[in-house]
Amino acid sequence: MKKLQSSRLQLKHEAGYWQGHFFAMASPCEVLMEVDDKKQAARILEAVSAEALRIEKKFSRYRDDNIVFKINHAEGAAVSVDDETARLIDFADQLTRMSEGLFDITSGVLRKVWKFDGSDRVPKASAVNVVLQHIGWSKVQWHDQVLRMPAGMEIDLGGIGKEYAVDRCVQIARGLTTASVLVNFGGDLATTGERRNGASWSVGRLVTGKDNAVALFKLYRGAIATSGDAHRFLMKEGVRYSHVLNPQTGWSVPGAPHTVSVAAPTCVEAGMMSTMAMLQGVQAEEFLKLQEVDYWLD
Amino acid sequence: MQLKKIKGRMAVATCALLQATSPMASAAGSEWDVDTSFLYYGEADGRVQAFEPAIHAGRALGDDDRIELRLVADALTGATPNGAYAIDGVAQTFTTPSGNSSYTIAPGEQPLDDTFHDTRIALGADYTQSLDRMSRIIWGANLSTEYDYLALGVSANYARDFNNRNTTLNIGLGFNNDSVDPEGGVPTEFAPMKVADTGKNVSGDSETKTITDLMIGVTQVVNRKTIVQLNLTLGSVSGYQNDPYKIVTVTADPATGLPVNGTDPSFFDSGVTGNLPYVYEKRPDSRQKNILFFKAMHHLEEDVVDFSYRYYSDDWGINSHTLGLKYRYQLADSYLQPQVRYYSQSAADFYRHNLVLGSDIDVSGNVLVDYASHDYRLAESETITLGLKYGMPMANDSEFSVRAGLITQSVNDGAVPAGQETPDLDAMMLQVNYSFVW
Repeated sequence: MKKLQSSRLQLKHEAGYWQGHFFAMASPCEVLMEVDDKKQAARILEAVSAEALRIEKKFSRYRDDNIVFKINHAEGAAVSVDDETARLIDFADQLTRMSEGLFDITSGVLRKVWKFDGSDRVPKASAVNVVLQHIGWSKVQWHDQVLRMPAGMEIDLGGIGKEYAVDRCVQIARGLTTASVLVNFGGDLATTGERRNGASWSVGRLVTGKDNAVALFKLYRGAIATSGDAHRFLMKEGVRYSHVLNPQTGWSVPGAPHTVSVAAPTCVEAGMMSTMAMLQGVQAEEFLKLQEVDYWLD
Repeated sequence: MQLKKIKGRMAVATCALLQATSPMASAAGSEWDVDTSFLYYGEADGRVQAFEPAIHAGRALGDDDRIELRLVADALTGATPNGAYAIDGVAQTFTTPSGNSSYTIAPGEQPLDDTFHDTRIALGADYTQSLDRMSRIIWGANLSTEYDYLALGVSANYARDFNNRNTTLNIGLGFNNDSVDPEGGVPTEFAPMKVADTGKNVSGDSETKTITDLMIGVTQVVNRKTIVQLNLTLGSVSGYQNDPYKIVTVTADPATGLPVNGTDPSFFDSGVTGNLPYVYEKRPDSRQKNILFFKAMHHLEEDVVDFSYRYYSDDWGINSHTLGLKYRYQLADSYLQPQVRYYSQSAADFYRHNLVLGSDIDVSGNVLVDYASHDYRLAESETITLGLKYGMPMANDSEFSVRAGLITQSVNDGAVPAGQETPDLDAMMLQVNYSFVW
């Protein structure tokens, strides 16, 4: 029997499919494969995990050896990026336009003043305003795979990276098997296609306020992504400050749902749609209805 | 913030990110940009009229490639100058290109051949092949056919973007092979036009020429409002370049310009030899052209100014300057664009009002000059075009526009006997255009 190349990969057999596990992108990652052969399951799991780790390594802002680090430490100099990075930045640029600035990959520096630890430590307006000077995609020059950003600003592709990794892994799995594979990275998930005999994949979704209760979805095809985190907020004088921040004001978006899940053909679309909904605050549900997508919100 | 439906745009953006085509994206890419137009061109005094419907369609193929197709039909009617000039008090008789019939021009009238009529069909296709994010090659092919003319051409144009896509370099190569199959055969150069039904002087059935063009150009975005373009084209034409329907008058006396007649030496005694006092023109079989083209477009607040200048010179001695200026006034839901164009050219070295018996052509009909033509298009001339275009963008990315123009051309014949000058040419054009996405 072929041994898995890395001990961090775990593979076990469930009823009718193989289930693989590994850890990447700060999340437990799961791959469900409706194949009979363990060797084939191992091959798929290895390819998927390799791709997830590649993307994490390339786009994580916690590393000092990748393109994101290079961009964030260019101190105003122009940085030339590769095709894949360019596609991600182009995509982020499109989202910024679609959202009229509500989505912004330069907004990550706000975490310097907002710490969502459940406390009442809401930052001072003056502190927010200082950070706000270093935010704004419109301050960045982006042409022909060359990015020039004022010193003090940072980009963070983490808001797109996990969903992007799920879709890339689904593409890779499709190249390896015609059987149905489900890729689930910390609750953002997608399938390569339908299961045999019209069966569905059962997917759990954390429900807030019910002590980690899990609701089950049946997923036949496509993708589901969830935005929000019920445990990341501040509470001060009876006001709940969600961790969803408006990059234009630097403040928590009032009335944002705790979590939003959206179903879409790809994980990127599902994830971005749920992110966009969160940014609409009290209008989140109205926004989702307008998009004519399937969603779950609480 | 106003809530917007972004699902479709999100799907398209995601496709670009994942580089996969979804049903959504392929639906968007299957649209054709179609441009249809109808042009009427009419010259005053019963000269040429043209009716030209055209259709042009382009669509994206995949992410970066593109195809463009063109179809143009021309119907031409009317009369065109045959190369001889008007003479006060003398009626002139000419033989038609077929050699089988004749027509007579009244004294003082410009000799026009009204057998001129033609239908032209032109087809073209361009394929833009993207090489990478910054460069592409445009492959082109075209075919144009008339009853006496066939033109076939291919071209390749390489374009590369530099400097954050603010600079584009173009290098193009074009090759055309044309063949002409004149009515009544290819007239023998400098041979006399014969009286009808006495046998036309012909040297063959058809002739060919090849045209090679090399173009190098640069387009520069100067700032957000200004874009400039500079192109240099080197062209070489070799082969048959005569107009097979144009003749040059033979005179015995340059002071009067009167055609030789039966009392002159017998070579042009039409009553005996059948030779009319006109010979078929002859041009060099090689022509080297240089063209410099500059264009600048500047956006004002809402309006757009478009300036262009073209300098042309060739080794036939023709130099020309073309200045163009367009100003687009943005109205509330439409635009108005007045345009003015000024064109001036010098004469070809071999442009001749006539050939003089004795000095240019001897009494036996031997021509002593290398080349001669009295085609007004090779004369020193000035042309002014005044135009106005009105465009109206409509729903679903469609646009309707109409353009009208008045054209005045004057030819400077130099010192020629009174009454023999080339008359001014006045023409008007009207074009209706409708473009849409299909």
